[in-house]
Amino acid sequence: MDKIVVENLKYKYPLTDKLVLNDISFKIEKGQFIGIIGQNGAGKSTLCQAITGLVPLFFKGAYGGRVLVDGIEVAKSNISDISLKVGMVFQNPFTQVTGSKLTVYEEVAFGLENIGLNREEMKNRIDEALNLLGIYRFKDRNPFDLSGGQMQRLAIAGIIAMQPDVIILDEPTSQLDPQGSEEVFKAVWDLKKRGITIIMVEHKMEKIAEYSDKVLLMHDGKVIDFDTPEKIFSRDDLMQYGVIEPAYTRICKAFDIKDSGLYPVTLDRACEMVVKYNEHN
Amino acid sequence: MKSLSLYQERDSIIHEIEPINKLLYILTTILIMIIVPSIKCAVLCMIISLMLLLKANVIKKVLPIINFSFIILISIIIIQGLFNINNKTVLFNIGKIKFYKEGMMYSALIVIRVINILCAFALLVLTTKPSDLIEDLVRRGLSPKIGYVLSSVLQIIPQMTSTMGTIMDAQRSRGLETEGKLINRIKAFFPLIGPVVMNSLIATRERAMALEIRAFSSKNKKTFLNETKSTKLDSSLKYIFIAAVILSIIWRAAIWTK
Repeated sequence: MDKIVVENLKYKYPLTDKLVLNDISFKIEKGQFIGIIGQNGAGKSTLCQAITGLVPLFFKGAYGGRVLVDGIEVAKSNISDISLKVGMVFQNPFTQVTGSKLTVYEEVAFGLENIGLNREEMKNRIDEALNLLGIYRFKDRNPFDLSGGQMQRLAIAGIIAMQPDVIILDEPTSQLDPQGSEEVFKAVWDLKKRGITIIMVEHKMEKIAEYSDKVLLMHDGKVIDFDTPEKIFSRDDLMQYGVIEPAYTRICKAFDIKDSGLYPVTLDRACEMVVKYNEHN
Repeated sequence: MKSLSLYQERDSIIHEIEPINKLLYILTTILIMIIVPSIKCAVLCMIISLMLLLKANVIKKVLPIINFSFIILISIIIIQGLFNINNKTVLFNIGKIKFYKEGMMYSALIVIRVINILCAFALLVLTTKPSDLIEDLVRRGLSPKIGYVLSSVLQIIPQMTSTMGTIMDAQRSRGLETEGKLINRIKAFFPLIGPVVMNSLIATRERAMALEIRAFSSKNKKTFLNETKSTKLDSSLKYIFIAAVILSIIWRAAIWTK
């Protein structure tokens, strides 16, 4: 069964004329890692918010089509109920800290307290989430005393403690340094290995190519393509959608190094193909 | 991490008392001073408050709070000592200025009451983490949304101040004069207010979404990570406060019937 089904989704923000999401349809299977790419204003963040139900429940506006998570239509459900199935991590780590808790440990407990979990279960989940994200040692620190990368991992911990089946990450590393970004990607990869469905909006194409099972290419509110990273990054019209393929892919495109018509998208695969190319020439 | 809290971490029995009891103590103190309007009663209440502050090992931290109200208290003493309507008996002179006993006694009562109220509030704010106080109130029926607003402002306001500092630095680096004459400061205010307000609004909207994603509006009954630490002393204190108020009412009634 498909985990997420998006059918003919259309959305327009209040007081605007343009459709931010224009007849979008796709399906995501359980446990997949989906990368969403496209230039600014393509509708990526709005699509993520539509999957969590924030659009149209939080933002009003004209809404059409439907988004189903486990067969439940999110627009007709309560966000609190959907939050048990779909978690979302936003771009800015600072605004995801609730500000009402004095320690990292209590911060992770925030969502669990809201859903009325018992204390023992709460502690088990918090310990597990903090360990998984590698921030258990900061459990007694004030959340605002953490670095950007640590704070973003705290935001993810707060979401995964709620044990959703799907986690959406909207440019989670855009405000982080390379080390902080790497910490977040590793943490997300661990979640994927645990069978959690991941949807990630990201501009770091090397990372998207490396981790994604499928990539959704968006432009001007429409889905241009939804396929494997190799197929997406082998397209020759990416520039027109404001997307630049990973550096390895660009080099291989320059030398026309491809296999079955597809260019490599990861470093390992590119090295392998370059070696073969050299052997044959 | 800056926080708008005056809480002092100490190992004392006062710190262990439930926040609600400290709130009840403030209420009881104020009620008793209203019901029993004698200077002896006010002094007794003040001594109890000071002893509790001493026991909590935070007495030194109360002085700045009292100092803060010092100018107002001094002005009350001067005005009452000079101009109280019941002034008859001269207590002392400073040159030609006469201070009267009746006014001075009345101002002493007001000063002791104010200091007592400040001490009672200090006992709460210096020995209770704001988050513990709010959590205790939420457990007792305060709306979690109101509780969240109260507890978050203590941390978010210092963060916003820090953001404002960054915006101010950014504007200053582009040549905006934010210091010096009053006119310069007023001129600098308008270019700053736009980015600060917009930044705050965007941050607030994002935080609101992040809260919703973490089931903030859930209709489930809220649970708490921290256990309640209610002791026998806590239960006894509630009865003691009630008894103290009832006794003062009886005393007052007895005075009336005489």
